[in-house]
Order: sequence, then C-alpha cells, then structure tokens
Amino acid sequence: MTFAERMLHIDRRIIFLVIGVCTLLPLLYPVGLAIKVSPEVRGVHDYIESLPEGSVFLLSMDFDPASKPELQPQAVALLRHAFKKNLRVIGMTLWVTGTGLADLVVSQAAQEMGKVNGKDYVFLGWSPGVGSLIITMGQDLYKAFPSDYNNQPTRELAVLKGIQTLRDVNYVVSLAAGTAGIESWYVYGKDKYKFELGGGCTGVIAPGLYPLLRSGQINGLIGGLRGAAEYETLIGQKGRAVAGMDAQSATHVAIIMLVILCNVFYLLIRTSRGQSGQPRG
Amino acid sequence: MPFETLLGAWVATGLTLFIFTFLYQDNPLFKLAEHLYVGVSVGYTIVKVYDTVIVRLLYEPMVNQGDWSLLVPLGIGMLMLARYFPKIAWLSRIAFAFIVGVGSGLAIPRIISSYILKQVEDTVRPLASLASGGGPTFTYNLLDPASNLNALVLLIGVVSVLFYFFFSIEHTGPVRVAARTGILFLMIAFGAAFGYTVMARMSLLIGRFTDLIEFADPRYGRATLWLLLATVATLIASGARRRDHPPGGG
Repeated sequence: MTFAERMLHIDRRIIFLVIGVCTLLPLLYPVGLAIKVSPEVRGVHDYIESLPEGSVFLLSMDFDPASKPELQPQAVALLRHAFKKNLRVIGMTLWVTGTGLADLVVSQAAQEMGKVNGKDYVFLGWSPGVGSLIITMGQDLYKAFPSDYNNQPTRELAVLKGIQTLRDVNYVVSLAAGTAGIESWYVYGKDKYKFELGGGCTGVIAPGLYPLLRSGQINGLIGGLRGAAEYETLIGQKGRAVAGMDAQSATHVAIIMLVILCNVFYLLIRTSRGQSGQPRG
Repeated sequence: MPFETLLGAWVATGLTLFIFTFLYQDNPLFKLAEHLYVGVSVGYTIVKVYDTVIVRLLYEPMVNQGDWSLLVPLGIGMLMLARYFPKIAWLSRIAFAFIVGVGSGLAIPRIISSYILKQVEDTVRPLASLASGGGPTFTYNLLDPASNLNALVLLIGVVSVLFYFFFSIEHTGPVRVAARTGILFLMIAFGAAFGYTVMARMSLLIGRFTDLIEFADPRYGRATLWLLLATVATLIASGARRRDHPPGGG
C-alpha cells in the first residue's frame, strides 16, 4: 500500500481529532481576526437603527435548542439593539420545542438592559397553527394570543397599547432554523399585511433564502454564527459569536486543506494505477 | 450560584460528552444520552401543547369567558380520534377534509404569489438601466446584486437549469449546451449549500466547546474535567467488558 492509499484509508477518528483541536485552540487562545460586515446583515441593523423610539419590533425565535449556538447570539444581539433603541419588543416563537429557550433569551436580555416585562417588552410564547396563527395575528393579535407566556391577559399590557394587528408592527424579524420560519412570515404575513420583514437563519438554510433577499421580500438576512458576529460588531457589543469566529476560520482552513489533500492523494493513486496498467476506478 | 444553574451545567456537560463519545465508537453512554434526548423532547412537546392548546386556548375561554363556540373546533378535532375505533373510523375523514380544505385554501394563493409570481418578477429584470443622464446603461459590478450583469447571470442560470430538467426532448445540439450550462449552475449552488452546511455544523461544535470551556471553571465545580474523566473511565471499562464478553458470543 502506497503512502497516498494509506492516507485515504486513515482512521476517521484522526480527522475528528484534527477538527476538534482546530476548534478548541482558537477558543482558548483567540487571535481576533477582523470581521467584515456584509450588506445583508447591515440591512437588518440599519432598519432597526432607523426606527424611532417606541416603535414596535416583533422578534419571532423560530428555533429550538438544537440550533442554539447559531441563533441565540443573533437573538441576543438583536434584542440588545432593540432595547438600546427603546423599541417596544414583542417576542414569540413558532416552534413549540423552543418556547423555554426563547423565553430565557428575551428575559435575560431585558434584565441586562433594565427593561420591565409588560411595559417595555412581552414574550407571547407559542401557539399552534403557523400559517393560520400569523393570519389570525394579522386580523387580531389578542385573539391569537389572549394571554402572554406568564398568563397575563395581553389586552392589559402597556407594551401592546395601540397595537391591534400585525399592521401596527413596524418591523418583524424571524430567526429561523427551518420551517416554520422566515418563509412562513413572508407568505402568510408580510405579503398580506404589508409590514417590513427581516430574517436570521442557520447556515444550512441560508442559501435557500437568498432569493427572498434579492427580490426584496426580506430586507436583510443574518446567516449563521458569522452573521451573528457581524451584528455584534455593528452594535459594538462583542459576544459569543465574535468569540467563535477564530475557531470557525481555523476549522474552515482545516477542512479546505483536508479536501485538497484528499484530491491530491486520489489523483496520485489514479496516476500510479494508469502507469502500471491497472483499472483507474 | 443557584443550585439549578449548577445542576443544569453538570447535566449539559455530561450529555454533551456522552454524545461526543460516539465519535470514538458506539457505547452505552451515547445510547443513554440519545434516548434521553428523544424522551425529553417528546415529553416537553406534550406538556407545552397540553398547556397551550387544551388549557389556555380551549378550557379557560370556555369556562372563564363562556366562549362555547370553541366546542365546534373541539368537536372537529375529537373526530380525529375516531381513527382508533374501526367502526367509526370514517368520521375522521371529516376532520381531515376540513384540515386539507382550509390548509390548501390558505396556502395555495399565498404560495403562488410569494414563491412563483414574486420570483418570476425578480428573474425577468431589465437588462439595461437608465443612467442619470437619461440614456441606457449596463452595470458590470458582480458584487452588486442589482447590477445588470447579475440580472443576466440570473436569467441564464434559471433558463439553463430549466433546460436541464426538461426531459421531453433529447439533450442534443443547443439543448445539450443549455443543459450542460444548467449543470454548472447547479454545481455552484450545491457547493454554496455545502459550504454553508459545513459552517453551520462547525458553529454547533463551537457552541458546545464554548459551554464545555465555561463549565470547566471552578464556579461550576470543574464539571467538564470531572465528567470527562468519568466518561473516559466508563469507555475504558465498557471496552474491556466488550472484549471479555463480545456481543453474540454467548
């Protein structure tokens, strides 16, 4: 067996180890690589920045704990920005398994910024239906959510004063790990009730959402941990996402090197088999 | 530090390490964590659905506010359960018909508008734009999504991919060229999707490592270090047991 053949049959656990080390070292000893902000992330930031104090911002955290590492930093950064701008924040989720996590994210960010539940923000929780829920919210918010997550009647909350339907919401951002998520908010919400919509998503679904961005169906898109790091940079509050960027870059370099090496070894084997008259497959 | 936070840190650390052991080999610790994950997810969903749907959206409005009109959706929903009784199973079709009918009615027009009409409108953009002086101009900036060159690339991409998926005629001559171009666009799309997927998976790993580093702190009782030792010891013991009593070895 040649060296190239031995390398192509290497124990996969060695590759896991290499990736593990490449992730761990930058987390322990950060380098602080520069982060360039993309126009799609800036789109969300600039829109929130343009909203006057007291505007209504609805953040739909459509993910569960499985996507927490990517989407929680996005949610925290958006909430910090919205609270800093003194917007009225409405939190909710379309994913039943994400309810507890979403509540924790909103309440922690609010506590950090000194905001009061019911006055400055509200977490509505989860309600079934997705499409029909969004349509009901577009007709009457209080029918969709008669009470908030803490079982307080929503009609009595100061933060919702003057808000009757989704038409009264100035900006909606959906942080999505799949369906239901950004697309549901566009299809059943924005297209019908004409509010402005932005999005944040996991890296896996980001390529599928770019067509919505280009066509103007959403005005910005925060993609994965990288997007969260860009947003943290924009608001000047560096958090978990920025801390993870060195590790992200290191693992990407490691994977690119592995892909190149595998192809080189594969070509070497093909060449040597061709020279010795063996089949190349 | 509150006890529940400390307990949460130890449970999260332990389960993360147990799941990571699968990278070495399948073992009882991984199985334990996997089964716990499934059980907890289902249990959590059942409790949340019961609390939100049955208690908050049905029971409380009916009993506290006298909104008895909710008996209608409750009745339709209950018909679903008729599937468990063969003699009256046909009743469940009423509920399914309602769901399919309402679902389709809501979804079809909205989806056609959002995914087809809006996207077609965006695909067929003018290939030249008006310059500030009034005459037609063509912008070449590839980095600007709104440039004329990108509009052309998009149009070629959509048309060539559609040709690739057009199977009614043989792919020869100009059709073959178009279909091959379509494959190129598809490959670039798959590459972008794979790149984003790698980024997403690495982000998840970074998230878990960040927590493991945080929980190695003395404030958390060095949960990561102690549980790492316990996990390695269990793996060694499990490996030794497997060597002594191989599966299916009697």
